[in-house]
Amino acid sequence: MSPPVLTTARRAEPLLAGAGARPGLAPDEVALPESAFAVQGPWRVVVLNDPVNSMGYVVLVFRKVFGFAEPRARRHMLEVHEQGRSVMWSGLREQAELYAFALQQWHLTAVLETDEAH
Amino acid sequence: MKRIEVKLSLPVVAPLLDLMKASSDVLEAQIAAPITLDDIDADFREDWRAELLGGQQEELHALMGLFNSDFFINGVVAFDEDNAEIIVRACSALRLRLRRHDLDILEDEQLESGGVDIERLPAALQKPFMCYVFLGTIQELIIQHLDTAILRGPAGESGPAEDDDEGAGDFDLDKD
Repeated sequence: MSPPVLTTARRAEPLLAGAGARPGLAPDEVALPESAFAVQGPWRVVVLNDPVNSMGYVVLVFRKVFGFAEPRARRHMLEVHEQGRSVMWSGLREQAELYAFALQQWHLTAVLETDEAH
Repeated sequence: MKRIEVKLSLPVVAPLLDLMKASSDVLEAQIAAPITLDDIDADFREDWRAELLGGQQEELHALMGLFNSDFFINGVVAFDEDNAEIIVRACSALRLRLRRHDLDILEDEQLESGGVDIERLPAALQKPFMCYVFLGTIQELIIQHLDTAILRGPAGESGPAEDDDEGAGDFDLDKD
């Protein structure tokens, strides 16, 4: 996956290098030290439904942005379509921002959520 | 390099280009998708928005650039590994704009199901709806034939190495 380039916004080089990721875990199962969550809380990248972008397009975007295999991308797409939203990933804020930015570059409605804000 | 050429009906597509251009012009200064940046640090919001807008502008310039003087001679547009991703995204941006601005009286269910009879639409909605469908068709064609190229990314970008499928073929969308 090619992470989005935020030329002026916050950068998160250690996360881009895959810090915290365990081999064999999919992108939305990244393992992070508990201390990181204690400071920042887990942030969720959520995609909301829109009536414009086609199912095929959304599946393509999920595969491109998160590196999902097609069945997993399709599962998330159907969740968005049927339930109005799907949590795509959760973890540290910086990485969540990068994913949200990438999804917005593809014109999907992506939001960030954290327990602290609700 | 995989490449597809699509022959379009000039009498059908040419009248849509004015609306596509007008919508594209609006999107020079406006992000197509609804975005909420409330959870983003205030210091970064403007940069975030500016970078999204810059990318969107690039996409739309690429899309409108397909309809150049050559297009008006032969009616052909071409997609390949270099422009597939950017054109697909541009189509998405324009469809979002058309839906929110020109087709806002239609129900979501109508658009999602495809159950819209263009002949029964008010005259003012027919061209926007044709644009909307046209851009969706372009997206489908690209995703169907160039999805591997999009997933792999531009030359030099790391990604799964898959065999090229040379000469994907030509498509004729000419409805005449």
